[in-house]
Parts: sequence; C-alpha cells; structure tokens
Amino acid sequence: MTLHRKPEYGRVNRGKPINFSFDGKIYSAFDGDSLASALLAHGVHLVGRSFKYHRPRGFVAAGPEEPNALVTFDRGPGRVTPNVRATTLEVFDGLVAHSQNNWPSLTFDMGAVNDLFYMLFPAGFYNKTFMWPKSFWDRVYEPAIRKMAGLGPAPIDEDADIYASQYMHCETLIVGAGPAGIAAALAASEKPGRVILVDEQYEFGGSLLSTPNMVINDIPAWQWLEDSLAILKARENVTLLTRTTVIGYYHENFLGAVERITDHEKDLSSHKPRERLYKIRAGEVVLATGAIERPLVFQSNDRPGVMLASAAHTYLNRYGVVVGEKIALFTCHDSAYEVIFDLADAGISIAGVIDVRDQVSETIIAAAKARNIEILTGTIVSGTSGKFRVSSLRASKIEDGKITSTWEIACDCLLMCGGWTPSIHLFSHSKGSLKWREDLGAYIPDNPNENVISVGACNGTFGLRKIMTEGAGGSTEYQVNAGAFGSGIIPATFPTEGDPAKVKAFVDFQNDVTEKDINLAVREGLKSIEHVKRYTTTGMATDQGKTSNLNALQIAAKAVYKPVQQVGLTTFRPPYTPTTFGALVGGKDGHSFHVIRKTPMDGWAEDHGAVFEPVALWRRARYFPRDGEDMLAAVNRECLTTRCSLGIFDASTLGKVEVIGPDAAEFMNRMYTNPWLKLKPGSCRYGLMLGEDGYIMDDGVIGRLAENHFHVTTTTGGAPRVFRMMEDYRQTEWPELDVWLTSTTEQWAVIALNGPNARKLIEPFVEGIDLSEEKFPHMAVREGRICGVETRLFRVSFSGELGFEINVPAHYGRALWETLFIAGQKYDITPYGTETMHVLRAEKGFIIVGQDTDGTVTPMDVGMSWAIGKKKKDFVGKRSLSRPDIMAEGRKQLVGLLTDDPNIVLEEGAQLIANPEQSIPMDMIGHVTSSYWSATLNRSIALAMVKNGHALTESNVYIPMPGKIYKAQVSKCVFYDPNGERLNVI
Amino acid sequence: MLSELKIDQAVELAPILTGEVDLLPVQTRYSLRVKPKERCAFIEASNIDLPAQIGKMSVQYDRVVLCIGPDEYILICSLAEREPLARKFEELMGKYIFSATDISHRNVSFILSGEQTTNMINVGCPLDLSLENFPVGKCTRTIFESAEIILFRMGKTKFQLETWRSFAPFIVGYFEKYCLQNRGK
Repeated sequence: MTLHRKPEYGRVNRGKPINFSFDGKIYSAFDGDSLASALLAHGVHLVGRSFKYHRPRGFVAAGPEEPNALVTFDRGPGRVTPNVRATTLEVFDGLVAHSQNNWPSLTFDMGAVNDLFYMLFPAGFYNKTFMWPKSFWDRVYEPAIRKMAGLGPAPIDEDADIYASQYMHCETLIVGAGPAGIAAALAASEKPGRVILVDEQYEFGGSLLSTPNMVINDIPAWQWLEDSLAILKARENVTLLTRTTVIGYYHENFLGAVERITDHEKDLSSHKPRERLYKIRAGEVVLATGAIERPLVFQSNDRPGVMLASAAHTYLNRYGVVVGEKIALFTCHDSAYEVIFDLADAGISIAGVIDVRDQVSETIIAAAKARNIEILTGTIVSGTSGKFRVSSLRASKIEDGKITSTWEIACDCLLMCGGWTPSIHLFSHSKGSLKWREDLGAYIPDNPNENVISVGACNGTFGLRKIMTEGAGGSTEYQVNAGAFGSGIIPATFPTEGDPAKVKAFVDFQNDVTEKDINLAVREGLKSIEHVKRYTTTGMATDQGKTSNLNALQIAAKAVYKPVQQVGLTTFRPPYTPTTFGALVGGKDGHSFHVIRKTPMDGWAEDHGAVFEPVALWRRARYFPRDGEDMLAAVNRECLTTRCSLGIFDASTLGKVEVIGPDAAEFMNRMYTNPWLKLKPGSCRYGLMLGEDGYIMDDGVIGRLAENHFHVTTTTGGAPRVFRMMEDYRQTEWPELDVWLTSTTEQWAVIALNGPNARKLIEPFVEGIDLSEEKFPHMAVREGRICGVETRLFRVSFSGELGFEINVPAHYGRALWETLFIAGQKYDITPYGTETMHVLRAEKGFIIVGQDTDGTVTPMDVGMSWAIGKKKKDFVGKRSLSRPDIMAEGRKQLVGLLTDDPNIVLEEGAQLIANPEQSIPMDMIGHVTSSYWSATLNRSIALAMVKNGHALTESNVYIPMPGKIYKAQVSKCVFYDPNGERLNVI
Repeated sequence: MLSELKIDQAVELAPILTGEVDLLPVQTRYSLRVKPKERCAFIEASNIDLPAQIGKMSVQYDRVVLCIGPDEYILICSLAEREPLARKFEELMGKYIFSATDISHRNVSFILSGEQTTNMINVGCPLDLSLENFPVGKCTRTIFESAEIILFRMGKTKFQLETWRSFAPFIVGYFEKYCLQNRGK
C-alpha cells in the first residue's frame, strides 16, 4: 500500500520503523507517530462507528479534543482500556488496538440500521419512543439500547497495572507547553522559585510542532523550541513533565495531573507504575492551554475524511502524513488558509476553498492565486458524499440566506474551520468568571478566583507574536515572521437544500447530536443550555463537548432569538480528559486502601486460626475455632471454659486516655455522669459519658492512679470521638482547668483474663502487687511488674467472672500473651474473641454502647440511673436529662427477653409486638438489640429496647420473624449470677 | 522466671527499603504538657529544653524535644534516660503544673534518608518539604494518607517520622511501593 507520507516533512523518527495492529491487521509506523497519524499514513480514515446511528466515522482532530476516533487499547488481560483517543495514543512496536461499537465488523455494522430509523431516536427519544408496552422498557428496550449505543465495553478483568501518586509543590505551575507556556516558563524560571511546566503531549511545543515555518527571534521554530527546552532543562528550579494532563483545578491552587508512564512503552516488565497522579499545590498558576478549532455544522459533516483544518496541518508538519490527495477547505475564518497553503506547498492538489464569507482579504486572495487555489466566497458546503470516506462535496452558493445554486466538487478530504474556541476548562474548574467575546464567538477568562493567569490562545489572544509576548508576561518582546492571525465570522447554522428535519448536520460527534436535535429541544420548550444539554446529551460525552459546546450554544441561541450570553454556558467539570480509575486511585489499592489497625497480639491470633472481624479501623479476633468447629461451637466452648476455668482475651483496642493535672478529677467530674472527686487512688469506677443531648455516648472503666492522674478507657470505636470531645471541652469550655489529655490507646497492650483461675495464673508472674482479695478487691487498679515489665493491673470484669486486665507497654504484648497462654495450659486456658466477650457480658446484662444503645438512649432507659452522680452540680448532658421528652412515659427501655422455646435465638434487630392478633399494620413496641445462645444457661437470651419495658417484667411480647411469630417473656437484664458472687471467687 | 519479654515493634522492613528507611530501636518517649507561664521555670528545674515555638525542636545530646502545640512537647531519647526522667517527673509533680505521659510504646520511629526522601514522603504527606519551607530542625504533626504522623527534619535528606504503632505497617507499605517503583532511579 502506498504510504501517504511526505519524506521531508514531520518529526517522526524514520530511522525507527515499528509495527502495530489495528482490528487484527498489521500496519507499519514510525517512532513518534500517534495511532491516528500512523493509520492515516496508510490511508485509513474509517476507524469507528458512531454512538447512536452507527455511522462510519473517521478522525476529526489530531489532539485530545478528538470526538470520533475512540479505540480500545489492548495490552492483554487486565490491561484493556476502552475509549482511548487514537490521536493521543502513541504507537509503539507491537501495539494492539481495536475499533469499537460495531458488529460484526467496522465496514459491515448491523447497527447501522439505526441510521435508517433515525426518526425513532430524536432528542430525548428514551422519554418518547420505546414507551409501550411499559413492561418492555426494563427487559427489552433498555438492555437493547444500552447494547447498541455507546462506547467500548468496560473492562472486566482486574487491572494488572500498578499506579502511583505524589504531592508536589511549586511557586509557578504552567499548564501547556505551547509557545505561550514555554515563553512563560522561560520568564518565570529566571527568577527564584520552583517552576513546573506540564504538557499532555509526549513532546513539548504545542502548536509549534505543527508550524515549522515560523521563525521566532530569527530562529526557526523547531530550533527555538529545542534551544528553549535546553535552557529550561538546565535550570535547577524547573521540572518538566510531558505526557502529563492536568485533569482538575481545585481550591487554593490545588491541581490534579496524571502522568502516563508506561502506556507508550513496549516492555511492561519493569516495576514502573502505569500512571502517576500528581497532586500539585502551586503559588501561581499560568494557564497556557491554547484553543481548539471549531467544526462547522453542515449536512454529513461526520463523514470520514472531513476533519479540522488544524488537524491536517498537524498530520502534515508533525507526522509527515498527508490526509488526502485532493483536499478541499470549508472555512469561515482566515486561519485555515495557512493550512491550505502549506498543503499546496507540499504538492497536494487543492480541490478548492469554500468560504462562507462574501469577502476575504487581498493578501489571502493573492497568496491563493499564487498557488492556483480557487476561493469560492459566499458559498457553503451543503453536503458530502462517499461511503466510508468523503468522495465529493456539494457546494452551494448563498444569496440572502438562501441557496441559489449547488454543484459537486470531487475531493477525498474536506477540511473545516469554524473559528477557534479558547480552552477555558481549567480556568472554569477554578471558579473564575468568564466573559463573552463577540468577535471570537467564544467565552474567555474574566475575573480569576485563584492566583491564576491565562496566557495565549486560552485567553483569547491569537497570533504567535502576541501569544508569546503575553506568555512572557511582557518581560520579553518576541519577534516572529508570521503575519496576522486573521479573523472570521461565526455562522452557527447554514441554509439547507431539502427538508431541514431530515438533515443530519452533526454538532456533537461523540454523542451523535445533530443541529435538528437542538432545534427540536428548543421547540419542545427547553430554553436554558443546561436543559438543552441534558435533553439532547450534547456535550455530555467523554470529550465534554470540546468541539461541540459553542456550536450547540450558538444554534440554541439562534433558535430562541437571544444573545448567546443569555442562553448561558454549561459548566466544565474535572477531569479535563477521561482518566483511568487506576490513576485516580493512585496506588491506594490492596493493603494501602485503608488502615487496618492490628493489636500487638494480632499475629498470634492469626497463627492460631482466629476468625477476624473489623471493629472501627481495628481488626479483632472474633473467635478461635478448633478442629472444624463452626462459630457457635467455638463460642460455646470458649464461654464454658472461661466460666469454668480461664479465658484470655485481647482487649488492646479499648481506647485509653491519660488524664493528668491538678484539675484532673474536676475535669472527669464534668465529663462523666459519675462522681469522681472522692474516688480513691487505686480504685476504679465504671464511667458513663453522655452527649450534650443527654444520650449515652460512651462508657468504660476508669482507674484513678493518683490524686491528679486518671487512666480512662473508652469503647474501641468511640476512642477518637471521645478524645476529640474531651479536648474540645478542655480547650474551649474549661480553659481554666489545669489538666491535659494524652491518647495512650496504643501505649498499652491489654490482656483480659477472666475465669475462676485468673488469679492463680498471674500470681507467679506478678511483682510488687498483693493480689489477695483483701488488698486487691474488684474494681481496683495497681501498678507493679509482670514478667519483669511494668504493668497497670486492673481488677475488673466484663464477664462476671473473676477478672484482670493486664496493661503492659505495647511492644511486650505478644510476648506476655504467649507466656500466659503457655502457663495457662494447666487451667485449660482458652483464647476467646469478641463474640464470646459479647455473650458473656450479655449473660450479665452489661450493655455495649452502639449495640444496645443507638444514640437516642438515656441512662434511665437502660436502667443505669445509678451511674449518675445525684449531687453533682453539672456534667455534660445533665441539663438534657430533665427535658420533658427524656422524662416522659413510654420511652423504650432495656429489658431481657426469654423466648418460650429456649432453642430459638431471636434475630438482632427484630421488631417486638404486643399482640400477634392485631391487624396489619401492627404496632411495633420495640426491637431486639442483642441476642445469643448462652451455653452457660443452655438456652437463648436476648436484650431488647421496649416501650415502658421496665414495667413489663414477666409479661409476654411477640417477635415476628421470617415464617413464624415467636413468644417471649420480658425479664430482668441480668441472666446469670445476679448477685455477682462469681466476681469474688477465691 | 522474671526475664525480660521480647520486644515486637510491629514492623518488618523489606530489603528494598535498606538505605531509605530504617526502624529505630525502642525509644523513650514522653508527651509533655507544660502550663505556658511555667515553661521557663520548668526548663530550669528539669533541664529539658522546651522549644519556644510550635514547629521547632531542640536537640540535647541524643535527646530531641519537639514543640507541636501551644503547650505540647514530644520528648524522644534513649532507653537509658527513661528511669532518670521518670524519677525527675515524679519529683517535679506538684511543684510545677505539667503532665508527662509515657508514650514510648505508642509510637515507632523511622529514619528516612536519601536523595529521594522528600518524594517518598510526599507520596502520602501533602506538605511542602523544600528546604526553604521545611528547613532542617522543623517538626510538625501532620498526616501520611489517613495516618497521623510526626515529621521532623534532621538533615537535608534525612527525616524522622513518628507514628502510632498500628499505623506503621500501613505507612511502610507505601514506602515499599515507592522504592519498588523507583528502583534504580
């Protein structure tokens, strides 16, 4: 096949030929080609099928604005990326890509039938057609439409690549390394301060890469580019990032940028991440993001071979590829003439220039004449022909807004130029305001909301000299050989030959939205561009309307007879271009996804087969199954062994706060409901904490180590919240108190020993503490040593058995646990987890905050009025406890439940009713909060919150569960050892 | 029978971290809170140099004191200093208004060094670690991803990072990933 290359043109490395595959066919390319340029070099224009109508589509652009040429980039399992723009995909040796949205093939696509039945798919068709029969929508229409419409299929394999992320800081961030950006970087880096220059392409230069004929300060453009980059590279304060797209611009000059690291590399065996997300905090941001050429909206403007003039320029000058052998141009702006002249100078036959305007400048006419190019003014293109590529266009003469004559012009490529749209996306992300420039027919940046400036084309400044001088911030005056950039008009719409309702003039190529769709939306009453957008889906595709937004806006404005500014502008949102989930996750996957806190004894539990459960950020051992035991069997065994002999439990996750200072007791007195002032050092007390609303917030055992020193424990999940609340009160409400709080949750490993043999086990290991019942009673704390290391030994019990909680510095936790476990063998010691802990405490009627309480429960509701210091003047939540609704009758109260059938374990969360005969809807009088099988009692037990529950003791309630309604008797909460005799077993 | 128990700092460093990340042996650490108006008197009585400004640190022998809050200091030193310090605090208790809480085992410390150190820290820490903005001798309480850390700079390319014991493996996981991805850079 003849290659459509011009040997003396382009920057591709002809010394490095490579091969790639597209739709299974092998093609040649050169290093430096994009997939688009490489395919065009082989004359391949047809690369995809459109979203809705499955029309053949080719390349519209040469850069990231490309709406049509989306391909699936296939690097094997776990490395398939759909919807990659062929214009930005760098070709490497062995690259594999496929076309999308066609079946069975790109050239014979069954879906193309949609194009014939276009009347079924008007704007908002899903609200109009396919409505009957209604039941068909879910099962037939929607699945079929989803299958037919759309882009490449989402990958199903797990991503095989790794990703990374990184914070960065600089004084100046320059986005876009075209002439304006490079001029800005040269100027900024002369001063001290870090400069980061970012460009999404694989080489810097932007438009300069497509305009080698420019001469800057008497140096040819490409030489100037090379020299400037050498200067920037040599400057220590400059970081240059290619292949890096700034995807979002957030508050306080915080920007996200994604660097593509391996997508262009043949060899994937390295450990390099595929992409890296940079989170950049910049002092000043310079946006030099350029402008995007605007397509023209005319019948069949989507045929392969119809493309932006600037794209042809880039393919020729940057890649050395000619996009056609006989090229026509349809324009309303001077800038496209430079392209057609360059193409003519390259020896390409020009079929003619169709210019909407009645007049063009003398300079252009002269330059065209010199090249034998015919310019047809006051003329439009009213249609194109050709199957998979344009073969001719229809030129129509316009007079007084009407077509007066039409004729065919043969061509194999039609360039179009509808003016230029400044790329204001990032400025818009940063919440800067915009203003309308009538002469450009476009919005440009107005008042910034951040420390940002826009320079060059993205600021509405055109012409190389002006762009560069603006980029340099006036510090350097650039001289260039280029003439004026010129000007144009914004026609928005053109007259048509036939029935306008049948004309398919595309506005949004990617979402298949035509001019008539927008007009229909307006006729159906949608006046705001935001509504038109959502109704027609224009600008809602993956390109976010980079080429279509302003055309859509102008068509809508014309249809409602209003100035564009009154129709508005849709909002740009990050990301600027489609971004992989991998990049956004940025390496925070697997174990890095979130913190899983492990206790010092976690490794031992893992080695001993523990089943874990998450509790807040911690993972805790839930139970320790032996020899094929299920959870129930393991928990039954753990419970019985603990009650009969000895159990060992890891309580390290309990929150711990050290409260120290002369006012420590006063502080405790104010934070907790209980009285603390008279608690003796060496004693413990159960502490109950309320929120300001009077509801139970947290609880825990608190030991007073000295007059001015408390060791506070909190629930596992409540620890951060309790600490924060205490700090808040300490700093803001009671700054007069001399007291300080230190979180010591992780300072101490805590081993809870429960069971009649607990004392016997530790006796030989403990030094400096008299463990006798008289000297060390229940609810006492002592400091001493165990196994040679310091300990805070608490005599407390959450099981009702004789219990100790041994606190040792955390790094010793596992070693002490192992020592005790080995020594405990003679007592048949069992390790137990949270499940057994829950059962043991429920047998004793001890609540768990957050399980038996739900943030709307008062101490009185759970029968804990005893924990409130009656004589205390104040404590957090005290005032709320006397609110009428807290004192009211009929509140839910905590009770025990014993099912009539002792083998039935109720479901936690099950609702309670008083009368099963009541007609539906029944009155719910409460719910089950905790429910277990109690091996000790050989029956089921439950705790429940029931309306007026305390008065219902011994009455019956009913619990509807799947299949049956169960009967239960209300009981006291304490099911086992109501007198607490087991605590004091000697 | 009353032998010393084995120490376990919850962290194992992969070989790839050699030269970039080191785990310090167990240190003595105190969280010190001193009533601001007694700061000078406390310094005199204790011979512990409490920096006057948040973000500053003092170094005495191998003892480092970081000021991370208006009245909040972290003292880090060798194990040998622990007993004398504990005695000293006991002695001063009641004479001065302060709090000293042993957090030796709450934290683990990493020494991070090498040319890539700031980049490695910036994987999870959003602070600007340029020498101008984070000079040698600066300390701060900040975050590494979702874990709280205390970070201080001991040299141009040398930092110490303190974190709670259970957060350490999470942070080290990031360092391992970074070193793997930037091997040979």
